Amino acid sequence: MNNQISVAGIYSPPFRIVIKYFITAIISFIVFNLMLLVDYKSISGHHFQPKILSINHILTLGFITMIIFGAMFQLVPVVLEVKLFSNILAEIQFWIYSIGVILLAYKFYFFSSSLSFEFPAILLSIAMTIFTINIVLSMIRVKKWNITGTYLASALFWLLITALAGYLLSKNLDTPFIKINHLQYLKLHAITAFVGWVSMVVMGVSFKLIPMFTLSHGYKLNLAKWTFYLVNIGLLGINWIMHYPETGIYNLIFGFLVFIGLVLYLIQIFIIFKKRVRKKLDIGLKFSAFAFIVMGISALLNFSFLFYDYEAIKNLTLIYGFLVLIGYISFLIIGQMYKIVPFLVWYHKYSSKVGIEKTPMLKDMFDEKLAEIQFYMMIIGLIILIPSLFLDLQSFALIAFLLFSISSIVFGFNMLKILRS
Amino acid sequence: MITKEMKISEILNKYPDTIKIFIKISPHFKRLENKILRKALASRVNVEQAASIAGVDLNHLLYELNKAINSEFEIQTDRRKESEMNQNISESLPEWLKNLTDEKIVELDVRPILESGKDPFLDIMNKVKALKDDEILLIINSFEPVPLYSVLGRKGFEHYTRKEGTIYKIYFFKQKISQFESAIKEQSQQEPNLVEFEKVIEIDVRDLPPPEPMIKILETLSQIDEKTVLLVHHHREPIMLYPKLEERGYEAISHKINENYYKVLIMKKRKTNE
Repeated sequence: MNNQISVAGIYSPPFRIVIKYFITAIISFIVFNLMLLVDYKSISGHHFQPKILSINHILTLGFITMIIFGAMFQLVPVVLEVKLFSNILAEIQFWIYSIGVILLAYKFYFFSSSLSFEFPAILLSIAMTIFTINIVLSMIRVKKWNITGTYLASALFWLLITALAGYLLSKNLDTPFIKINHLQYLKLHAITAFVGWVSMVVMGVSFKLIPMFTLSHGYKLNLAKWTFYLVNIGLLGINWIMHYPETGIYNLIFGFLVFIGLVLYLIQIFIIFKKRVRKKLDIGLKFSAFAFIVMGISALLNFSFLFYDYEAIKNLTLIYGFLVLIGYISFLIIGQMYKIVPFLVWYHKYSSKVGIEKTPMLKDMFDEKLAEIQFYMMIIGLIILIPSLFLDLQSFALIAFLLFSISSIVFGFNMLKILRS
Repeated sequence: MITKEMKISEILNKYPDTIKIFIKISPHFKRLENKILRKALASRVNVEQAASIAGVDLNHLLYELNKAINSEFEIQTDRRKESEMNQNISESLPEWLKNLTDEKIVELDVRPILESGKDPFLDIMNKVKALKDDEILLIINSFEPVPLYSVLGRKGFEHYTRKEGTIYKIYFFKQKISQFESAIKEQSQQEPNLVEFEKVIEIDVRDLPPPEPMIKILETLSQIDEKTVLLVHHHREPIMLYPKLEERGYEAISHKINENYYKVLIMKKRKTNE
């Protein structure tokens, strides 16, 4: 039989587990925003501070990575046409991981508590290893491979590298042993996490989801291949050079490769958007489109870091962090969640009733007006936050965090509405 | 050289004139003249499958096709035909044919029916219907009716073929339930016999955002019966739709045309417990 034909198979993704990850992630997002609000006075100065590290990991581990785990349990079966290897492993992973996140956030927040850094780091590494094994064992049974699979596979590699670097950093905090600067190693950890893990997943998945939601076709994915090689080679180089005290010209070269890769990716996404059949962008796609713009800005900003002492400019690292974590990653996740969650719930509850009884429309499952308000509140928050961090105006930062907090609660409300509809 | 593994579409593309041969051999192939059906069906069916679908002898079909494209192959093909045919004939006598008494045999010679230009299929099926549990059906023919093996196999019949000079004697015997259930399982895993359909309903969902394609397809299902096939023009493979079709007793075959274009054929599942 030729490989362009597939006879219907059933790869139904595990709804219950996916939703469990999603709900926990949404709760983490609200907690993150409320903590920013409560500790707004700590959000200034150098990024290596207990509270900033704690709050940051609630977002990166509790929200972003949690969502990615849930989304991959959903998307790997659909995109690669294979059954998830084990639902039980996904369940076990959830508990180990969640406890790990809570303990790590606690330990960072109360830096001097008797709990070691190593213990939560071990839990997180075990959970991430379980995840990787589960996905890899699913992937080896895939019959029709595609570019999304390639991106996801490399993302898994970088997830393990991030976990390993995180574990070494945690040990170093307990008893220092890393010969090079701890902060340089932290940089490796962060770059690998943002670009290798999160962005590789985001980019790989976007080649499937964005055309599906915008109904784009008739474009080529040539640039996507270039991005894959450039970013991965650049990251391998950075991971290597960061082990030396002097990174010099090599850092510049590898940083440049990653930058070009990301630029090509954005051009690719722009091409897909241009070829779309539905011209009007709904709320999910508005969030996503904004995220891609900020992704470009933050890539440019990161690239510029190669040429001057960015740590000398007050709060610039923090500004960069907020751009990446809120403006790019969180906006994109929220946008995609407004598309995916209604569909998942609809599919789970109503798809068997189509043609038999009346089923709700996706856009009726949540309050789109409220989602619009959330969108603009988050943008205004970001616009207020950047100059207030730059000029160190804490009362303005407070306003931004207030806007973020309200919008995260609106998001939680809308997601709850979808789940209960 | 046309082989039994070659796809029908491949042959029709290379040698457009062979369409006449197909139609000459069986009126079933008239559907291939229809461009939509040709694209949707022929690209996935090879000569062997087509022969069994249309109920014609594979070797005869291959022979005629090869003769049409190149007369030099005639002799070569003839030899191959001979050897392949002999392979099809079972070597050892099955249990149920030993201790055979004449009164247990129901005989049907289909050669006169074929000569009068009619299809003996219905006559065979009527005989099969009237057959008692311990009786054996004997069909006499001038060629080996290979498609009949799978048709009757699906109904739980085992066959034994004997060649006597220029005629073929085929014995059919119904197996016990447990044995033929496994045969049915095998059958249902094979691709459905598309040429049986008489009506095609086409819908294009390429301009609809999810989940509207799924809604539209599921809503159209009420119009799909055993003789109707639903041809959906889709912008991707509808992986999430498959379980929902399964639930309602339908199955689908997706055929990738290009990255953003899939043809999805949806049909009612065959009843397997006849």
